[in-house]
Amino acid sequence: MDLALQLLFTGIGIGAVYALVALGFVLIFRATNVVNFAQGEFSMVAAYLMVVAVEAGLPYWAAFIVALLGMALLGVVFNLGVYYPLRHRTYLPVIIATIGASILLANSVLAIYGPQPQVLQGWFDTPGIQLGPVYLDSQYLLIIGVTICLVIFNFWFFEKTLLGKKLQATSQDKEIASLLGISVSTMIMITFIYSAVLGGLAGILVAPVLFVSIQMGSTIALKAFAATIIGGFGDVAGAIIGGLSLGVIETFGAAYISVPYKDGFAFLVLVAFLIFRPQGIFGERVAEKA
Amino acid sequence: MPLLEIRNLVVRYGEIEALRGVTCAVEEGQVVTLLGANGAGKSTTLRAISGLAKPTSGEILFDGKSIAGLGPEAIVRMGISHVPEGRRVFPGLTVKENIMLGASNRKASTSEISREADAMFDLFPDIRKFTNALGWTLSGGQLQMVAVARGLMAKPRLLLLDEPSLGLAPVIVQAVFKIISEIRRSTTVLLVEQNARMGLSVADYGYVLETGRIVLGGKPDELWGNEAIRAAYLGGHAKVSA
Repeated sequence: MDLALQLLFTGIGIGAVYALVALGFVLIFRATNVVNFAQGEFSMVAAYLMVVAVEAGLPYWAAFIVALLGMALLGVVFNLGVYYPLRHRTYLPVIIATIGASILLANSVLAIYGPQPQVLQGWFDTPGIQLGPVYLDSQYLLIIGVTICLVIFNFWFFEKTLLGKKLQATSQDKEIASLLGISVSTMIMITFIYSAVLGGLAGILVAPVLFVSIQMGSTIALKAFAATIIGGFGDVAGAIIGGLSLGVIETFGAAYISVPYKDGFAFLVLVAFLIFRPQGIFGERVAEKA
Repeated sequence: MPLLEIRNLVVRYGEIEALRGVTCAVEEGQVVTLLGANGAGKSTTLRAISGLAKPTSGEILFDGKSIAGLGPEAIVRMGISHVPEGRRVFPGLTVKENIMLGASNRKASTSEISREADAMFDLFPDIRKFTNALGWTLSGGQLQMVAVARGLMAKPRLLLLDEPSLGLAPVIVQAVFKIISEIRRSTTVLLVEQNARMGLSVADYGYVLETGRIVLGGKPDELWGNEAIRAAYLGGHAKVSA
């Protein structure tokens, strides 16, 4: 039982990272109808930015802000360079462009930093606290805390603000949004910035737990992508629930079944969902009317 | 000077010439209806005015200023609101949210917009009880009311209405046209209709479009009086329009 509680905590911690990246997937997908295959690279680039900023001697919090600002900038560049020129085309050229951007980002970092994984220290000096039978790692606590705050922020932003409604309107019908006077290109720009920052935040938070490496992006992105399918593609709550459950499932799978196959469990669950419930846990929020 | 003036408007979709030189005008304070069969170019005319379709050539003057080629976001800010064919209410937003977004063309605080949206339900009492219902759950007539209310939230000087009666039960069509006759007190309306009888019943002036050209224009009784036109376009004895 104690072990199960410990695993649950760790699973939710790692699942929160998947949830943040999955949220980025969903927001861009809803705004542009395109899966952004460079979403994982956002996490990787942010982790490297953080490493660079800390090595440059910035205090941890300042490095954190610099890295996130860098991600916002990357979101702008990504929108202008990858999505905007192809926005009137079908989804296929855009998807291929995001794959291209992902290769470019990974190899740029490789060219600059080399293949050796980097180490990033955690935010706190204390490694963690013992709470009864469970040891709460401070970095996992931070990840969970930040994720909770972001989920609340996300809900408030999309459900309670007019700007959030405009973003939703744009993702549902761009032509009508523009007819009403909503600046569609601004809304999509905001979506890319927000998604890049979300992905970056996930990368920075998880970096002290994993190594900072070129491959960390694709590993996280694959899990996050699986999470969005499990949750119901395009659904915000689904991405979060999907991410958290995936983290818990793979942590338990690794502990009770097999450590080497840890990454396999996520995809087993994905395959099961694709066969038995392809619309995911939450399915489509907007039902099609006959 | 007319509020809206269109001269020799040509719109091409690839190889197809949807409009081949449309010339017409809408005077301030009037309801003008654009009649014609399917594919005559009625919707394309509205899409060109609101900026959804790019004119190939020709002029569109709104209040004396050329608006041809401007984007839809700029045109709606100038005071032209387009309620498109098929309602196009945002399915995942509530009725109130849909209506509120209609004010996106002007600067106003959220609370102000919210108050105005609530006031809109006085004009559309039938949808008041669906304030918090999601768009996709509504019926065709309710969607049409939401779409018109959303269009009015722009506080337009010119309202473009595309086939508001399409696919609605006769009693709902009556309700929609009753609303149009109320709107006309404050707003100039350019109304596209396949249902000529309804269109002319509220209009001050009518144009008949045929394969991308205006073939006739006149006051409603003049159009009714023309036997040939009546038979061909206005659903006389030979043909009854939907």
